[in-house]
Amino acid sequence: MPRPMPPKIGVSGVRGIVGESLTPQLVTSFAAAFGNYCGAGPILIGTDSRPSREMVKQAAIAGLLSVGCTPVDAGIVPLPALMLHVRQAGAFGAIFVSASHNPIEWNALKFIGSDGIVLRPNQSAELADLYHQGVYSRVGAQDIADGRVEDSTVARHRDAVLRVINADAIRSRKFKVAVDCCNGAASLASPAFLRALGCEVIELNTRLDRSFPHNPEPLPENIVQLCELVKQTGAHVGFAQDADADRLAVVNECGEPLGEDCTVALAVDHWLSRRKGPIVVSASTSRMVDDIAARHGVPVFRTRVGEIHVVERMLECGAEIGGEGNGGVILREVNPCRDSFIGMALLLEALAEEGVSVSELRARIPKYAMVRDTLLCPARDIAPLLRLLQNLYRNQKLDFTDGVKVLWPDRWLHARPSNTELIIRIIAEAPTEPEARTLLLEALECLSPST
Amino acid sequence: MKELKIGTSWVRGVVGDALTPELIVNFACAFGTWCDGGAVVIGRDTRRSSATLRAATIAGLLSTGCEVIDMGVCPSPVLSFAVRELGADGGISITGSHNDARWNALKFIGPDGALLNAVKSEEVIDLYHGSSFLLAPWDKIKPVAADNRVLERYLEHLLVALDVELIRARHFRVAVDFCNGACAPIAARFLERLGCTLLPVNEELTGEFPHPPAPSVANMRQLASILRWLPADIGAAINVDGDRIGLVTSGGVALSEEYTLPLAAGIRLKRRPGPVATNLSTSSMIEVVARELGQKVIRTSVGESHVIDEGLAEGAVLAGEGSGGVAALPSTMTFDALLTLGFILEQMALCGESLASLVDRLPRYVMRKRQMGCQPNLIYKVLDRFRVRYADQSPNCTDGVRVAWSDAWLHVRASNTEPLLRIIVEADAAERADSILDDAMTFAHRITYGHGG
Repeated sequence: MPRPMPPKIGVSGVRGIVGESLTPQLVTSFAAAFGNYCGAGPILIGTDSRPSREMVKQAAIAGLLSVGCTPVDAGIVPLPALMLHVRQAGAFGAIFVSASHNPIEWNALKFIGSDGIVLRPNQSAELADLYHQGVYSRVGAQDIADGRVEDSTVARHRDAVLRVINADAIRSRKFKVAVDCCNGAASLASPAFLRALGCEVIELNTRLDRSFPHNPEPLPENIVQLCELVKQTGAHVGFAQDADADRLAVVNECGEPLGEDCTVALAVDHWLSRRKGPIVVSASTSRMVDDIAARHGVPVFRTRVGEIHVVERMLECGAEIGGEGNGGVILREVNPCRDSFIGMALLLEALAEEGVSVSELRARIPKYAMVRDTLLCPARDIAPLLRLLQNLYRNQKLDFTDGVKVLWPDRWLHARPSNTELIIRIIAEAPTEPEARTLLLEALECLSPST
Repeated sequence: MKELKIGTSWVRGVVGDALTPELIVNFACAFGTWCDGGAVVIGRDTRRSSATLRAATIAGLLSTGCEVIDMGVCPSPVLSFAVRELGADGGISITGSHNDARWNALKFIGPDGALLNAVKSEEVIDLYHGSSFLLAPWDKIKPVAADNRVLERYLEHLLVALDVELIRARHFRVAVDFCNGACAPIAARFLERLGCTLLPVNEELTGEFPHPPAPSVANMRQLASILRWLPADIGAAINVDGDRIGLVTSGGVALSEEYTLPLAAGIRLKRRPGPVATNLSTSSMIEVVARELGQKVIRTSVGESHVIDEGLAEGAVLAGEGSGGVAALPSTMTFDALLTLGFILEQMALCGESLASLVDRLPRYVMRKRQMGCQPNLIYKVLDRFRVRYADQSPNCTDGVRVAWSDAWLHVRASNTEPLLRIIVEADAAERADSILDDAMTFAHRITYGHGG
């Protein structure tokens, strides 16, 4: 029998495989640690739709109650809706039970602070330290709070998004929209949201009682079903959300997936046509954003890969919009986190206000090809290997925000250590796929000691 | 010291540092593993901390692949019935029962509806210490179900055991102090079916206990004073999970909970002749009642699971303890306060007498109960010296030491729940009881504090 993989305790929370490493004991203790960290007050708790959700949620509720917190059960909700609710409700924090884009056998706790933002790396480190010390301030029977149930999370979030977009323009177009929720956290919220925008909704995988029909990461190969549906029904657009509904991929009216790196580009392009301002994206996000920014005459700031880094930089430089190439759009006015609903709203608004189709919208942005690979790598070899790469390209423009990024006027190569696994991720983007692949192979050759 | 006790059929402790949710998750995992990932019915009393224990219990059970049927706020006897009725593999009652509000506990119920006996409890505790639990993969994690049909069947099951028409004809007025526990809603329906008027006291499901929940004379003061001006035929105090009951006469005299078992036995043994099982500390009144009806009494170790387990083995038709818990075997597998109340109402109806005159017919004994703080490492030394001291009187050593004389008995034992020595004496006369008690206390003191013995 293979040795079970240990749980992963890191900046993005606690993740593990149900039935192996994500045990109720671990969850209870971590929730108690988080309750101590936030203080004895209301803590929101929401989940995606995974079958293990109730087990994990009840374990977390037990841990929170034991340290005097008041768990407020928001039920199955999109992650961005829960994050918004934390700030609106003045909660001390929130726990989201979801392994996001990981396959269904996984589950995880994501910890959100009272500001509605996932814990910063230093805060996560403090929480992990509290957990590892294993001493929590339990309260006696007289101080145990009454938990409550809260069902307004989704509606509050819908209202917040509708307030910042031109909903009337969208309603007047009566779009036909296909949406694939992967039977995830948005299964109820998304169809209702789109109907509130006057859309005719074709639902795909919106069954909370079913397991994920495909890998929840909204990559082109995982959303074939949606592309087919768009083609058959003649929908104006197709949307695919991941299991916790922070990431979005778009399918055009011909049933072709645009690629999840297009989502943030389209959203940013439309937003800048309304209001100029700086953009923040992660180091691995497509060059499309730079071209768009140049056209609008605004600066682009690049950060380390990871939502929290993008959010922190947005807050620092006052950027209103940003995101990541994995389909995560962030609009600060609504919520300083990736939000697939914002992505959908901005795209529909662009279609409505400009009277164009998705493929016409896409055609305004230059096309690039992005290719990726990973290299298994022991921790001690990561830095030396990256130095090799740095040396190979010493005459090019280099950026060390996150690993090593090599920049040319129309292409780039990025190698960085993964946040979650002992691997180096290598990404290359160039005007055509053969050009991008050449860059990638060059890097792989440099990094693989055997060749 | 951590106030945590792991005993036969339960784990209990003071909520906070001793009874942590991690501990509860581990015990729920152990029990779920013992049930082989089958169906488990859970219920809880109204204590606030019961919500914490509930969440931890559900998480633990689900992680082992169990199907959880949550009865919500639910008396222990209803839960016991539900386990059998639903054909579940086990049950967990989340309740501190008669303990004060700081405490809480899990009571483990087997597929037969009875609390786990010593052997089964040991299996669960071994699993707990082994920390090797079933872990269901994601696609074997089941949902939590509710059940709202069992309650009605439970009521019918109670009524079958009673002469409903006889009781209904009397239109009794019954005052019940629920201590804001789990029993109030079901008791209202039960008494309505018996044609009684319920006069409820402390009937809110708030979990704020107006007094400690054990139905002792001291804790029934409020009810007794109400009955002095409120016209009622009987008063009853039911503890928060509905297993124990104490009684108050229509004149407002609170009866020791020792009276509950002999009063219930009067009717039960008439309707269904057979032996009675009770523990070694319970009043001898039960022997007198059983003898009059030609039945024998089986004495067991203290604790519901022992009394029921040995009662079942000996074919008893009634099992109970001096703490006010009574079960009608084999149809109820756990102490049931409502059924006990039903028996006593039926006895009153049958004899056409008040509770006070039923009590007058019972023999008068004097019982004295004392407890003495004693470190766990010393308790067994003290008990051993008592055994030696009374060796020539062939004491019963099943649970501590019990010595019987023609006119009195003495029982010295270790508490199941606290680091205490319990000393119980019963005699025909007060002087005799006091002298045995003084003697035993002095002896225990001498040994504990090292002055020979």
